[in-house]
Amino acid sequence: MLGAAAGTEAGGVPQQGRGVAVEARGLTRRFGPQLALDAVTLRIAPGESFALLGANGAGKTTFIRLVTGFLLPSAGSITVDGLSPALRPSQVHARLGFVMETSRLYPELRVRGFLRFMGGARGLGGAALARAVDAAIARFHLEPVASRLIGNLSKGYQQRVSLAQAFLTDPPLVIVDEPTGGLDPVQRGEVQALLRALRGERSLLLCTHDLEEARMLAGRVGVLNAGRLVAEGEASEVLGREDALALFRTGAEPAR
Amino acid sequence: MTALRALMRKELASLFGAPTAYLALSMVALVTALIFFDHLRLYNQILFVYASATMGGFASDSVPDYVNLWDSVFFPVMETLGLTLIGTVPLITMGVFAEERARGTDELLLTTRLTPWQVVLAKFAVAYLFITLMMAVSFLYPATAIEQGGLGLEHLSAVFLGLTLHGAGLASIGLACSAFTSSQLVAAVSAWAVAFLFWDLTWASSFVGERIAGLLDALSMQPRYSSFAGGVVSLANVVYFAGIALVSLAAARFSFDLRRVSG
Repeated sequence: MLGAAAGTEAGGVPQQGRGVAVEARGLTRRFGPQLALDAVTLRIAPGESFALLGANGAGKTTFIRLVTGFLLPSAGSITVDGLSPALRPSQVHARLGFVMETSRLYPELRVRGFLRFMGGARGLGGAALARAVDAAIARFHLEPVASRLIGNLSKGYQQRVSLAQAFLTDPPLVIVDEPTGGLDPVQRGEVQALLRALRGERSLLLCTHDLEEARMLAGRVGVLNAGRLVAEGEASEVLGREDALALFRTGAEPAR
Repeated sequence: MTALRALMRKELASLFGAPTAYLALSMVALVTALIFFDHLRLYNQILFVYASATMGGFASDSVPDYVNLWDSVFFPVMETLGLTLIGTVPLITMGVFAEERARGTDELLLTTRLTPWQVVLAKFAVAYLFITLMMAVSFLYPATAIEQGGLGLEHLSAVFLGLTLHGAGLASIGLACSAFTSSQLVAAVSAWAVAFLFWDLTWASSFVGERIAGLLDALSMQPRYSSFAGGVVSLANVVYFAGIALVSLAAARFSFDLRRVSG
């Protein structure tokens, strides 16, 4: 278990158990005339690993931003553990860890300093913060680089740092956006192995365009195409379809 | 409060971990020193002229009243210091939000316990702390003019209060401009434009009616800043600078909501 906040209600952090549910109903988001997400309805059950697949620009990142409350929906609704990120952002944020695409960190900070900052920003303090940081460094094998500047690390290590900050408070939901984008095969394997080890303890929402990664890490998948959910189901079932690749091409029919 | 403290510590580490902060401190101190000594040199030359004109030696009563340390050195230096701040503060604040946006870390920041108001206030507090430090260093030379003029600690405090309020207004304008863009250049240029515009709006008075001219005068920073430099602490002037800071910080806060809607 990571961090003192895990398994407690201290500081408003929800009790860590089998994760929380994410539920989207008719979720729609427009950017001016452009429809980025078109009436997406899906449910991620507590403790489930769910991969949202799609080509670049399919709407995956928009979906994530709606879950985190960074964007407001144009229509429809989204809830995390029954809470609206638009109306109760701080309560939703207490329940999630967020791993962004690589390089979206603070290059001028050292690894330990960055983790201390993120732990503090997530409400940890004093001895609990120190324990959580030490545990995250050990869990994500960051000992050799703990005192180095993030900007001087390889992309593989940077992504491990990003993973480590998301797990500092042991949140019941972790959102991971393109975790292996831009990584070489060895680094990709290492990050995937870390994610595989963390499945099942919590809800995991993974966004990727790598089918193999989705098959490896997720129990269920959803496929977005031009903002519409064109397929949803068991990973083996959806990705095993003969026309699986066609789901990513423009013109695929929405899932019923 | 834990989250707020964490962000402030991180902002301080980022600010003082880069050479830019020390460079800015040194440059402003150097420029102020040069301006101060230039005015002091000029003042001494004028005194020398009067002393030379008095064949029997220097006689203080031969120097006109308007040639004094206060008017010849302190006021022009303070005026220049106010303008130096307008030139420098946007360089300090331009990256505060714009850089977060450009590298996408603002999204990470907003998935923590930090509320948008906390983010704005923490970043303002750190920027303001730095500007106050910068002013304290730069104020040493003009302060000697006050001390030599025998005006005492009260006057010194009033002048420094004016400087810090001016700095707070400029810092918040800079933050607001930085919050609406991901380009540091756009943030700096827009902050300069707004600050210079508000520094002196009286030039526009001749083009508008009497009522609007009065409003423009009331909105100008320069006369209010000069009032502090004269040792006068007026509640109206304090409220004016606090108002600028509050409106600008509210604008920075509003940028978060705008992004949630417009993307």
